[in-house]
Amino acid sequence: MSAPSHDAGSGRMRITLKIWRQEGPNRPGKVETHFLPDVSPHMSFLEMLDVLNERLIASGLDTVAFDHDCREGICGACSLVIDGRAHGPEALTTACQLHMRHYSDGDTIHVEPFRANAFPVLKDLMVDRSAFDRIISAGGFVSSPTGSAPDGNAILVPKPDADRAMDAAACIGCGACAAACPNASAMLFVAAKVAHLALLPQGQPERERRALAMVHAMDEEGFGSCTNHFECMAACPKGISVESIARMNRDFALSFLKEAPDLPTGSSVG
Amino acid sequence: MSPTPPQLDSKCPSGPISERWDKHRFELKLINPANRRKFHVLVVGTGLAGASAAASLADLGYRVSVFCIQDSPRRAHSIAAQGGINAAKNYPNDGDSVQRLFYDTVKGGDFRARESNVYRLAQISNQIIDQCVALGVPFAREYGGGLANRSFGGAQVSRTFYARGQTGQQLLLGAYSAMMRQVGSGRIALYARREMLDVVVIDGVARGIVCRNLVTGAYERSAGDAVLLCTGGYGNVFYLSTNAKACNVTAVWRAHKRGAYFANPCFTQIHPTCIPVSGSYQSKLTLMSESLRNDARVWVPKQKGEPRPPHNIPDEDRDYFLERRYPSFGNLVPRDVASRAAKERCDAGFGVGTTGLAVYMDFRDAIRRDGEGAIRQKYGNLFQMYAKITADDPYHVPMRIYPAVHYTMGGLWVDYNLESTVPGLFVLGEANFSDHGANRLGASALMQGLADGFFIVPYTIGGHLAGRKLPAVSPTDKAFEDSERSVRERIDRILSIGGKRTVDSFHRELGKIMWDHCGMARTGSGLAFAKQGIQALRSEFWENSRVPTSSAGLNQNLEHAGRVADFLEFAELMIDDASQRSESCGGHFREESQTDEGEAKRDDERFSYVAAWQHEGVGKESTLHREPLAFEYVRPSQRSYK
Amino acid sequence: MSRFGKALASSVGKKIVMGLSGLMLLGFLVEHLHGNLKLIEDPSGAAFDDYVGFLKSFGPLLVLAEIGLGLLFSAHVYLAFRLTLENIQARKQRYVVRNNRGASTVGSVSMFYTGAIILGYLLKHLIDFRLDPRFFDAPHAAVQAKLSQPGHAAVYLLAAIVLGIHLSHGFRSAFQSLGLSHPRWNPLLERLGKFVAFLFAVGFAAFPMYYLFIRER
Ligand SMILES: Cc1cc2nc3c(=O)[nH]c(=O)nc-3n(C[C@H](O)[C@H](O)[C@H](O)COP(=O)(O)OP(=O)(O)OC[C@H]3O[C@@H](n4cnc5c(N)ncnc54)[C@H](O)[C@@H]3O)c2cc1C
Ligand code: HEM
Ligand code: SF4
Ligand code: FES
Repeated sequence: MSAPSHDAGSGRMRITLKIWRQEGPNRPGKVETHFLPDVSPHMSFLEMLDVLNERLIASGLDTVAFDHDCREGICGACSLVIDGRAHGPEALTTACQLHMRHYSDGDTIHVEPFRANAFPVLKDLMVDRSAFDRIISAGGFVSSPTGSAPDGNAILVPKPDADRAMDAAACIGCGACAAACPNASAMLFVAAKVAHLALLPQGQPERERRALAMVHAMDEEGFGSCTNHFECMAACPKGISVESIARMNRDFALSFLKEAPDLPTGSSVG
Repeated sequence: MSPTPPQLDSKCPSGPISERWDKHRFELKLINPANRRKFHVLVVGTGLAGASAAASLADLGYRVSVFCIQDSPRRAHSIAAQGGINAAKNYPNDGDSVQRLFYDTVKGGDFRARESNVYRLAQISNQIIDQCVALGVPFAREYGGGLANRSFGGAQVSRTFYARGQTGQQLLLGAYSAMMRQVGSGRIALYARREMLDVVVIDGVARGIVCRNLVTGAYERSAGDAVLLCTGGYGNVFYLSTNAKACNVTAVWRAHKRGAYFANPCFTQIHPTCIPVSGSYQSKLTLMSESLRNDARVWVPKQKGEPRPPHNIPDEDRDYFLERRYPSFGNLVPRDVASRAAKERCDAGFGVGTTGLAVYMDFRDAIRRDGEGAIRQKYGNLFQMYAKITADDPYHVPMRIYPAVHYTMGGLWVDYNLESTVPGLFVLGEANFSDHGANRLGASALMQGLADGFFIVPYTIGGHLAGRKLPAVSPTDKAFEDSERSVRERIDRILSIGGKRTVDSFHRELGKIMWDHCGMARTGSGLAFAKQGIQALRSEFWENSRVPTSSAGLNQNLEHAGRVADFLEFAELMIDDASQRSESCGGHFREESQTDEGEAKRDDERFSYVAAWQHEGVGKESTLHREPLAFEYVRPSQRSYK
Repeated sequence: MSRFGKALASSVGKKIVMGLSGLMLLGFLVEHLHGNLKLIEDPSGAAFDDYVGFLKSFGPLLVLAEIGLGLLFSAHVYLAFRLTLENIQARKQRYVVRNNRGASTVGSVSMFYTGAIILGYLLKHLIDFRLDPRFFDAPHAAVQAKLSQPGHAAVYLLAAIVLGIHLSHGFRSAFQSLGLSHPRWNPLLERLGKFVAFLFAVGFAAFPMYYLFIRER
């Protein structure tokens, strides 16, 4: 792709959308069909949904609800399953970064919300992912109260460790891993956080405790368990590796062998 | 100039600037640790400012409730910051110091910021890095294991700390995790998917807020002893900006209507390196980090309507206009300067791309010098993002960029304690009028947000909580009831308009007015024209907009409508502010006030003040108050980057 | 529940037990295969009969080992049922359209089914030999009698293939579950897993094939 194609030919497309509509939590849902006669290949997928919504308003209908915010692949808000794949067909790409140039005239596209019991649908394509926040509040942190830190360079971190920690820390908390997992397991998300902190010296004091606490919190939320299909890694827009999961399992197994303090109880995510 | 009105007492301590913060902290009242849990602090917003404040206050023992619009506090817009965060650590031993960071910030802000605040910011900057490292932020490292630095946004020293191209994400996740630890411990109650729609003021003191639960549609009242607004910037008044879609003016605007003065609303930053607009459906703009300019050369063809593709244009036919105009800073001139230079070339007809509103940002020479691998190492994720959006390969074809709205220096007026003109209402982060004057330096917003939240408000809030009588209030008090009613009435009114135009179309039209007349260049007549346009658009909005009603409470259109309604009121204040300031300074460029070479010309005689606006009612002229700015330590000079 | 018990009952704890028990069962299979090979090594059957006699000579110790093996199996099977059910339960509302991205394999998606077939086969296998009092009188003859019948041989053949499929995912997966993973060794482990699966499938398939096609001629 060396020739500039950014604003090359407009080549409008006709697209049929089959979209999951659901009025609210615990309400029955159904697939609704919409036709868009005039989609530009330069639009992002979400911009196409914007266009659809503008048309729905014009015809007096309720718009399709979907989560989005940054629209540049970093906030993790967008959460669509497009043609059966979390975040759509492109690898390493969030739904908001997917562009319509990957489709052709006449295509039919299915759009559904992320599905897992732990991600109940709020409306249409919008789900509740507060389970992830509760998992973090159980242990996804370094307990370092404000003001207690030593000089930044008092803690030396070998560059390869820092780089690998960054690889794991790149997780945007979107939940595509759980959406793509045949078991609706959130292991990749949890493991990414555990690995990020386990790779840094700052994370050592709470290392095992963190793995234990976060896994228990994950179980309480009703996610499935990992059977190593690795579909999560294939769906993850940030390329988080299942290597993190192995690392967490190892920490977890080792924690069996050690004396550890009690786990924290109760959080309040309202 | 008239004396400072009493409401605008900045409460800056006196004495040598380097001792002011220490002195002030000593003078602030402390609260007995056992008593802290009796105080309840409401924190609105969970970006860097809000998350760090909530975590620190809970660490101290206060009870805290936090609110945010997104489904998770981790998605606050701070997540999108790419480039880095400044600190005066001087690890590279290249001559940086607190003094130099202070100086650069005051100068970069074109002498429209408070010296005391900026000095404090520079002092605190180092502690922020320490705190973030301790929280596990995976900053870039040197092979020896020490923290890596780069030079950013034209700074002559390397003082920017970064985590690949995702510094904001990593810092926010650090602050978020600190906050979530306290959520786990029960000290913080977290309320996501809530939009704050009013501040409740009782006996002149901010004592609560009213939110709309964005899932159920219910109105929720929260009472507390202090309210912290950490709700980010209002760049989306331009519709197209690099801000996330939910960024809004609503929280600060409602507070403004309750008595908080709005300072310097016209100070907005236009970032030079964004991916250009490609079509009318465009919903937002994407920033290409400023760090790219370290290795890129910006140019346009020398010939208008140049037919050759960029990689076939030889050097002698290229106009490296930044290097030409600013030989000493070259491609690294500050944002406002770089943006205007690009606009100048495009206005003169040398722009590239189908719209003619773009310039090239070329990595060819850097790739030849350092190899593609080295460039990939540094900017891989940015190049990938660019390729995804444009389908161009920036390793072989120069990027096309154009300026876009990025940051708002204006915000609610606050004193040295970060307290607004409404006692008990504190404003942090991008939401306050901040320490960046008329132009923010790259990598300084993250620093400021974390300074405010980690290390300033936790002390200064004590002055309010210990110093004022705070009788018990309850969400059932009349003030809360009145506030909820007004909020409810406004929303019901929006739902009942039943016109023909979509909210989005109003927002786009408003954005166009603002971009054309209150964007990179402003003129008195253009502003007057815009003011009329905004008023007309606002009336039309209230007569002809259409928001679908939704059986359930969740109604994203209604949320958007409420924000656009506020933007339509706020935009007028921006215009008023830009009109009264007939000088050019920083990001505010009045065409009437430029040097012979077309550079911004300040007028310190008349405009060395903070413009703080008092609300008098929608459609009524706001009252302007001036907080004079005195410069004791940095001599105001005309900025020059030649 | 004790901390240890709670950890064991967690999703990761269960997987650790699953992986350990799976690998231990594999260990048993190695020995089993080794013993069975005597059937082919020595067509007279004497070597095999000696081997069975040798095992038998352990007396109560053998019973103890078998109980251990039984427990191992029970744990593996119990957890297999629980995990499978829980994982189905974790997504009550299914996708209308679902596509994977090619990371999951025939082996990975069929673990429960291949496991269940192995379980069914195992019962038959036990009834055929271990639980048949006549077996210990003349082990080799009993094996030959069964496996020469095409119907029985087909079941044994099928079971061997199914075991291979189970292991094609299970071997690699157990290492991941136990946290034994390294970017450098993982590709090797991946291939080793396929190889082990193939080896066991061929190994155990060898016996029905042998009696069906070679021995008869
Ligand atoms: C693309 C991009 C790149 C940037 N890169 C850099 C950089 O490299 N370096 C740098 O220093 N700065 C950078 N900036 C600027 C910097 O990111 C922001 O100024 C800063 O993060 C703002 O933080 P904040 O905490 O003030 O607000 P935000 O992070 O914007 O948080 C606002 C919070 O308020 C909540 N909120 C808003 N309104 C309401 C309401 N009505 N009710 C309830 N909650 C509400 C939101 O939900 C959110 O939680 C960048 C900005 C952009 C757009
Ligand atoms: C000799 C017999 C068997 C061997 C050698 C064996 C081996 C293994 C191994 C190595 C694993 C991988 C463990 C992991 O992923 O951590 C596994 C998983 C599994 N086994 Fe078996 N197994 C055997 C019998 C059975 C039986 C009888 C069942 C009964 C249903 C069964 C069901 C499963 C299931 C469902 C899994 C996947 C569980 C998960 O990954 O969560 N297996 N097995
Ligand atoms: S691991 Fe990947 S898929 Fe899962 S939440 Fe993080 S970024 Fe999303
Ligand atoms: S909208 Fe932020 S990642 Fe897609």
